[in-house]
Amino acid sequence: MASRKPGQSDHPVVHSAFAQMRSGKLDRREFIRTAALLGTSATAAYAMAGLKSPANAAGMPFSPDDPKAKMGGILKIAMAVQKMEDPATYSWVQMSNQSRHTLEYLAMTGPDNVTRPMLAESWTASPDLKTWTFVLRKGVMWHTGEEFTTEHVAWNFNRWLDPKTASSNVGLSVCSALVEETGEKDAKGKAIKRVAKNAIEIVDRYTIRLNLNKPVLSAPEDLYNYPAAMAHPGFKAPISDNMVGTGPFQLVTMKVGDRCILRKVKTMADGKPFTYWGGPVYLDEIHYYNFDADNQLNGFASGDVDGVYDFNVEQMDLAKSLPGVIHIARTAQTICCRMRCDTKPFDDKRVRQAIVMSVDNSKVKSLVYTTGGDVGENHHVAPVHPDYFALPPLKRDIEGAKKLLKEAGFPNGIEVTIDVGNTDGPWHQTACEAMRDQMKDAGITLKLNVIPGAKYWEIWDKTTFGCTAWTHRPLGTMVMSLGYRTGVPWNESHYSNPAFDKALDAAEATLDVAARKEKLGVAEKILQDDAVMILPLFRPIYTIVAKAVNGYVGHPTQYHQFNKVWKG
Amino acid sequence: MLKLIASRLLQMLLIMVVVSLLLFLIFDSDKFKKQIAVAELGGFAVSALSEQDYEAWLEKKGLNVAFYERYAKWASGVAHGNLGRSFEKNEPVLSLVAERLTNTGILAFWVFALMIPLSLGLGIVAGMKEGSKRDRVVSFVAVFTTSLPEIATAIIVTVVFALGLRWVPANSSMVNGWDWRQLVLPVMTLVLYDFGYVARMTRASMAEVMTSQYIRTAVLKGLPYRRVIMRHALRNALIAPFTIIVLQLNWLLSGVVVVEVFFQYAGFGKLLLDAALFGDVYVIQAATLVAVCVAVVSQIISDVGYTLLNPRIRFG
Repeated sequence: MASRKPGQSDHPVVHSAFAQMRSGKLDRREFIRTAALLGTSATAAYAMAGLKSPANAAGMPFSPDDPKAKMGGILKIAMAVQKMEDPATYSWVQMSNQSRHTLEYLAMTGPDNVTRPMLAESWTASPDLKTWTFVLRKGVMWHTGEEFTTEHVAWNFNRWLDPKTASSNVGLSVCSALVEETGEKDAKGKAIKRVAKNAIEIVDRYTIRLNLNKPVLSAPEDLYNYPAAMAHPGFKAPISDNMVGTGPFQLVTMKVGDRCILRKVKTMADGKPFTYWGGPVYLDEIHYYNFDADNQLNGFASGDVDGVYDFNVEQMDLAKSLPGVIHIARTAQTICCRMRCDTKPFDDKRVRQAIVMSVDNSKVKSLVYTTGGDVGENHHVAPVHPDYFALPPLKRDIEGAKKLLKEAGFPNGIEVTIDVGNTDGPWHQTACEAMRDQMKDAGITLKLNVIPGAKYWEIWDKTTFGCTAWTHRPLGTMVMSLGYRTGVPWNESHYSNPAFDKALDAAEATLDVAARKEKLGVAEKILQDDAVMILPLFRPIYTIVAKAVNGYVGHPTQYHQFNKVWKG
Repeated sequence: MLKLIASRLLQMLLIMVVVSLLLFLIFDSDKFKKQIAVAELGGFAVSALSEQDYEAWLEKKGLNVAFYERYAKWASGVAHGNLGRSFEKNEPVLSLVAERLTNTGILAFWVFALMIPLSLGLGIVAGMKEGSKRDRVVSFVAVFTTSLPEIATAIIVTVVFALGLRWVPANSSMVNGWDWRQLVLPVMTLVLYDFGYVARMTRASMAEVMTSQYIRTAVLKGLPYRRVIMRHALRNALIAPFTIIVLQLNWLLSGVVVVEVFFQYAGFGKLLLDAALFGDVYVIQAATLVAVCVAVVSQIISDVGYTLLNPRIRFG
């Protein structure tokens, strides 16, 4: 039972969500997430939902201080150590982990999927969700000795939105609502955009307002997207040469493909002692050592490292045999085996439908991931997404697939080739092989063209049939906007359906949480019926840490946060 | 002799020029420039860039300059000891290559230190009496270990000695500083893979020598068998294996990518693979120059050694 009601200061959507939760239309976890996004403190949101709040330090995004914690020590993690050029153009989560303890974010989404203020102290949204006001913490210091202010926040926003920066942040809902089209087009025919006038408004030293041109519910959540770290205005690429941040650690050694060493900051550039705004930090150093994905567990088994970034499902038995704690996180990370809707033979919807109908996603999932994970439904919204709307389960239909192929002019079956880059591990290939075996029954010959991951990223948006890895994103609307709206840069399938765009617009513009789910369900159904992709599963994340590591919590996006981690 | 060395060195320079020109030409293509952009910015970001912004990025990286200008600048740098800067690793290529060469050199040293006596010893023992039980055992082991691909050997030795018996670490990343124990498995893998080949060649060479007239004469003269082997047979039997062993230098430099990657050993082969995947043209160029240099130098050593070992060959 709920033990507290929303007050006058809470956003109107929190009131309606509260009512929906009480009438059973809204899950309590979802209510907490929504209320926290709209500025209600996470503790208050948990209280309203009648749930016990995870122990977080008051007003902090981190766990509370542990009285048993030992100060000092080095935490060693096996992970790919990658080049850090520009935080706004990070293309891998690993890059952001290397700088996450130095370059911080305005907000922080915890492992419980609840977003809490980080460099921002609080935020409020207007009733129509078009105006977001962020108030910064006072006394947050850069390592240079300057105070972190709204000038710096505005500088970061403007840089992300500058097309020359090439930041993927432009695809975020909050950023796309800050820009307007100039009416001009570039050589490729893409519309040129610019930051809308007064979109980023500095109210005072600690208050900044974002004036959006459409309602956005996920603004704080967007600001924990991994390329949205706050960089110092003195930044010059590569960031690894002079990484100035507000976090408790600083970069002392960076060797791409070898190691990234972070050490606790004691003094600022001006010689004054550095006091971290987030309270005590226990570790002295964090070391990332370069290990390829398949070798990280070997490094852990040898005792070289205290934990790994992740390990593959094929390595689960080995992991279980090692002394350590295995963390499994439910995520929306997936592979999207998508077909180019404007290219033969996939421009014929019947061919796409036949291919999709010949595969049993639940069998592929259970074959590839025996522990954890969710079955995909060929529309890219995952059960873990708070706005997920459950559609009727998909059924494999071999006869139906054959019939469609015959109608499409392929009475003797069809041969198609899929490009597989294994960019997220060899499980991509395993899943495609399972699909290949299933498709045979419908007379479809699927050939796998396996290429190196780096090569795949060169063709991911060009290949006619490709298996692309998509990382976890907190909202279903977010991933649909990024990947399937007509003409957006990451629409790799070249899918275009005005009915889908309209349904997605309607879902995004709906503030009522339960109604939003239903409307997103309409978009899900359209995308599923148009058979754009086989999306067989959503993968779990497996990681392992030594028993001596305390305070470690697995995160669905694999974002590392070690401020309250200590070694026993 | 000096003429031979000078001619080989000249050949080496010519090969270097041609290969580096070809590589520059290949890496000047739009495809490879896009590869660097994807590696640095990510596939998602590159697809969102406008043509104009992509051009601006190329300019920032100095990749929009004409191929011949870039080549001339690079060649002038090389002449002055500057091999350029790695796109991926953001450090001078010279120090990077030197560090990785040293690591691979250490690996190669231990492989040679174990492989040469082992393969020569077993090859000689086997070749002394062709068709004997000893010969058959050595031949079987040699063929068996050489037939297994390096990756299979690496997996077997890791499962047995690291994960099973836990005698040695499963990887050679040296994250906690230099640890000789971490060299055991890569060295073992390479020795197992390579010794069989050299042992088989030594065996064949020894067997051939043992059937020659002068050995038969020496035995019939009543010389002790040990003396016949050490004084008369070995010198001739070792000529062919010597050439082969020196040529293994090439293989140990760039042919050990699989082993270095499997054991996460930061060597030259792994550097070359990383650079190729990233499109890190200056590292690839430097690595190629080194590989050509080692190939030619090992060839020279082989030729000179062959000449010294074989008195029938003399230069005028």
